[in-house]
Amino acid sequence: MKLQIKLALYNALTKLAIILFTGTLILFSLQRITYHHIATRLLQKKGELTSHLSSKEISQILSQEKSFIDYNILPEEYIDIEPLKTLYNSETEVTFSTEPRTIDKKTETYRILKSGFNYNGRGYSLEIGETIDGIDELKSTIKGFTLLMLLIAVSLTLLIDLIFTRYLLRPFYQIIDRKLVKVNDPMNFDYEKVITSTQDFKMLDDSISSLMIKITNLFTLEKQFIANVSHELLTPISIISSRLENILQQEGLSEENENKIFASLKTLDRLKSIIKSLLLISQIENNQFNKNAQVNIRDMVKEINEEFEDRLDDKKVTIINHVKNSFSMPANLSLMYTLLYNVISNAIKYNYEQGTITISDKLDNDTYTLEIADTGIGMDQREIEKAFNRFEKLDTGEKESYGLGLAIVKSITAFHNIKVQIASKKNIGTTFKLIFEGQA
Amino acid sequence: MNILIVEDEKSLVLEVYEFLTKEGFTVENAHTKRSAEEKILVNNYDFILLDLGLPDGDGFDLLTTLKKIKNREDAVIILTARGSVDDRISGLEQGADDYLAKPFSLNELLARIHAITRRKHKLESNEIAIKGFRINIQNRTIYYNDDRINLTKKEFEIFNYLVLNKKRVISRTNLTEHVWGDILEINSDSNFVDVHVKNLRKKLAQFAPIDWFETVRSIGYRINI
Repeated sequence: MKLQIKLALYNALTKLAIILFTGTLILFSLQRITYHHIATRLLQKKGELTSHLSSKEISQILSQEKSFIDYNILPEEYIDIEPLKTLYNSETEVTFSTEPRTIDKKTETYRILKSGFNYNGRGYSLEIGETIDGIDELKSTIKGFTLLMLLIAVSLTLLIDLIFTRYLLRPFYQIIDRKLVKVNDPMNFDYEKVITSTQDFKMLDDSISSLMIKITNLFTLEKQFIANVSHELLTPISIISSRLENILQQEGLSEENENKIFASLKTLDRLKSIIKSLLLISQIENNQFNKNAQVNIRDMVKEINEEFEDRLDDKKVTIINHVKNSFSMPANLSLMYTLLYNVISNAIKYNYEQGTITISDKLDNDTYTLEIADTGIGMDQREIEKAFNRFEKLDTGEKESYGLGLAIVKSITAFHNIKVQIASKKNIGTTFKLIFEGQA
Repeated sequence: MNILIVEDEKSLVLEVYEFLTKEGFTVENAHTKRSAEEKILVNNYDFILLDLGLPDGDGFDLLTTLKKIKNREDAVIILTARGSVDDRISGLEQGADDYLAKPFSLNELLARIHAITRRKHKLESNEIAIKGFRINIQNRTIYYNDDRINLTKKEFEIFNYLVLNKKRVISRTNLTEHVWGDILEINSDSNFVDVHVKNLRKKLAQFAPIDWFETVRSIGYRINI
């Protein structure tokens, strides 16, 4: 669950709890207070009654037989006196109860004071009641009101909280998006601070930035290391290779030794290729190339196809060139050449004899797609995932593969902001897509 | 012809020295920028093989110094392990005649030296004759007596390179690199260069026996004259 929703829910729930609690408290104390008031009033009435006692009044009340007190404006009250056979023995004892009573054919709930008194040597029981239906009505009104308030408050809170937390958390998501999700390469990290007044987010932003600086430093160091090592290795290779070539010039060299020396030279060539590839990757990654040429993909594909004629003949592979659009982009000429060269070279290398390679393109709005599909050995999902890793190679009969071709492709495409997609089926073929977004 | 090798890596100098001496060049060495400067100021060379990374400075400076001196025809081939495109471009812009990235094949170096020699000195005899075949390097044509042999661009390159390096076994890798250039991850084990050689031989054999054009088992080719 998103933090934003969690916060909003938490706020809504706490508000719900507070309102529920105060609601119950109000209802409860309302009852207590009204009962208290009624009791006071009833006692007062009883006092009034007992202090102004007269035979006439008693007989009047007795004759009325449960009716509202006429001298009271409020019709919700009644007085009832019953003569007792004995004297009422505890005049001061008063009990309160809530009971229904029917007066004038109307049944209502009353708060009733029960007591008694003695007058002229006779005992009477006394009941004074006051209706509490009004209070119950008030209570249900308050209940309803509380519920309504509750609903409104909760939905309002949810809404406002959602909006507010969204506003509050926006810098957070900006940091996530800009500083973590969109970062492909720490070298091109966006160090511009996300605007926020929330200190926690500032801290997060700063921490990510300082982490990135560390990573970038390590990266630069690694790249420099690769560049330096590669460079330093080339001179010794040059020495060995020259020395072996000179040995070959000597007369009287046995055929066996000659073969061994050629084998060594071949190994050296392999070493040279690997080092040069690594050097190239590190140079691309260090942005040591410019994009000062306008490269036409169609022309370049055509040129490379011509270049490959020999290898195609050798392997009896046919290239079907369907490239229609004349698409040009600013790029580095030699890198683009290497890119297409490597991709098509792979399509030949991993093709079956008599296979075909179909090169086609598509121009949609501002997106140009170049597709190179072969009918070769293909790759499974696991192999596709690892295809761009350095020194990863397919298990084929070809000996001369260093597993750096696609690593070079990857760095060149990253340099030119070209997207790469591979779709492949084992034993059916591989389709390589180069997507030039927004460069048309 | 005299050649000055400016290179601090002594073992490499030794090998280049040995190779070029055998080819009949007069070779001198300089291991530092300073000693190279002295030599350049005193002598004229046909070729200066210049390493860019010298212990006491940048080889580019020597190039600048040389270009300031009037009436000097010294051809400069830059030899470097830097290999960056920028270096290549600025080297050629500053007047170097060629650029060879380390590690290079000595055969390739020889081919470049020959190419520059022909270009610079506009050799009167722009032709190499071999067993009745005449290679005209300028027009890139081959004749047998008065018959022109139609070779493709690549077939010509292969033949020319083998003739230049005659008596030496040229490996397929070396040949591929020379003809197709220094493309990374080139599939040198593939035998597509053989197809061209096969066609080349077929064309030559129409005119004369070419038993001197040898295939060296599993390695490459040699023109044995």
